[in-house]
Amino acid sequence: MIYLDHHATTPVDARVLEAMLPFFSERFGNAASKQHRFGWDANDAVERARKQIATLIGAGSRDIVFTSGATEANNLAIKGVARAAEGAEGSEGGRDHIVTIATEHKAVLDPIATLQRRGWRVTVLPVPASGIVDVSALADALTERTALVSVMAANNEIGVLQPIREIAVVAHAKGAWVHTDAVQAVGKVAFDVEELDVDFASMSAHKAYGPKGVGALYVRRKNRDVKVVAEIDGGGHERGMRSGTLNVPGIVGFGKAAEIARAEMPAEATRVAALRDRLLDGLRAKTDGLTVNGSMEMRLPGNVNVSFAGVDGEALLVSLDDVAVSSGAACTQAEPSHVLIALGLSNDRALASLRFGIGRWTTAADVDYAAKKVSDVVARLRQMSPV
Amino acid sequence: MKCSDEVLRRVRDLRRAGSLQGDHVGTGEVGTLDEGTVMRIQVRREGDRIVEARFKVFGCSAAIASASLVAEWLDGAAIEETGTMTPERIVRQLALAPEREHVARMAVEAGLDAVRTAK
Repeated sequence: MIYLDHHATTPVDARVLEAMLPFFSERFGNAASKQHRFGWDANDAVERARKQIATLIGAGSRDIVFTSGATEANNLAIKGVARAAEGAEGSEGGRDHIVTIATEHKAVLDPIATLQRRGWRVTVLPVPASGIVDVSALADALTERTALVSVMAANNEIGVLQPIREIAVVAHAKGAWVHTDAVQAVGKVAFDVEELDVDFASMSAHKAYGPKGVGALYVRRKNRDVKVVAEIDGGGHERGMRSGTLNVPGIVGFGKAAEIARAEMPAEATRVAALRDRLLDGLRAKTDGLTVNGSMEMRLPGNVNVSFAGVDGEALLVSLDDVAVSSGAACTQAEPSHVLIALGLSNDRALASLRFGIGRWTTAADVDYAAKKVSDVVARLRQMSPV
Repeated sequence: MKCSDEVLRRVRDLRRAGSLQGDHVGTGEVGTLDEGTVMRIQVRREGDRIVEARFKVFGCSAAIASASLVAEWLDGAAIEETGTMTPERIVRQLALAPEREHVARMAVEAGLDAVRTAK
């Protein structure tokens, strides 16, 4: 089975696993235990990981708040900013508006929808076929009441990179904070919170060869007085922003994954992009009626998302028995991807789309096989179609 | 994605996929592209028997498997036996999810239309 679904999750790097293992058994301390060596050791390991992650994104260690994953980090940033704004200003004359884009992950759109039900005004900006938001349109949507702009750094389906730095400039001009769901970008492409000037960034370990169940929110402390109210109370961990005993083995693994990503990212990005291009060339050589969804220029190196004319997406996916990719289709629920619909694709075309995610251990033989397999299946399904 | 083993087997083994031409061929075609599924079943009749059955489908794995199963039932069947095909039998044999039951009805309808139009 060939795994080409690295946007969904990645395998844990052996070096990451090795770093984690002692913290399940002999070094099992609670990082919050201040009275003995077990706690000190765990705390040292957590702080080392915090430093490794902060270094990867150009932040200070104290800017990193550990969470259970990126969904929690997104919720903390979005709802936490909203609660801080509600507390600071009251409902009259305060900030009660959030701006985001149509191609965000549900882990951003759903918390924002919750705020909308609570009375917040929400602007969800459309995107063109490239998937890249028009910054001037975003600037036009901002008002003096905008509290937060949340735009993802890299899209999880189409891999498109957003102009976060430009977005931060226009958002800050209106006094709004900037949050970015950076789950797919961190460890894959250069991502520096100072260069991009973001106030919040959500991250997840398992998207970058770390373990599942651990993530982090970058919360800016430098230059701006960013305020966020905790979602989870109980013990005041993580400077009061996220209570709960820290997942020490997971955090250690996240730190090691960040250290590896920082060291290997430039070479890995080049290698992965070459494999991605080889896959796309292989598909194009063998199959007509193929469309790439979203910009190819502003894109994650390991991503390509393509639609195939004249085939049913679910039948395509089911037929790919030994190539693991993903699409918006599911056997029991043929709901098209909201991301592809936002780009302007028809339901049929959105459903007949595949997302390929190349990863650290993908080989040229893997992508050659996948290109042939997909092309063969597309040809077979088209031949079988009565229309 | 979770499909039954029988659906997966039929999607990957496209026995009886194709078209029939010539005399004594009947065709049943149901569905539209707008609805997301188009199913065509064809049979060749000799006297009171179906001697050949083929199918073509644009649609999901459940649609492909349903048409494949109906074509298998029809192939070699006596005309009087064809009335025993029901959507319920397809749903049971393919372990279709409730959301997919409509493709079983389409397959039976296409199969019966093919038999009816085969002279």
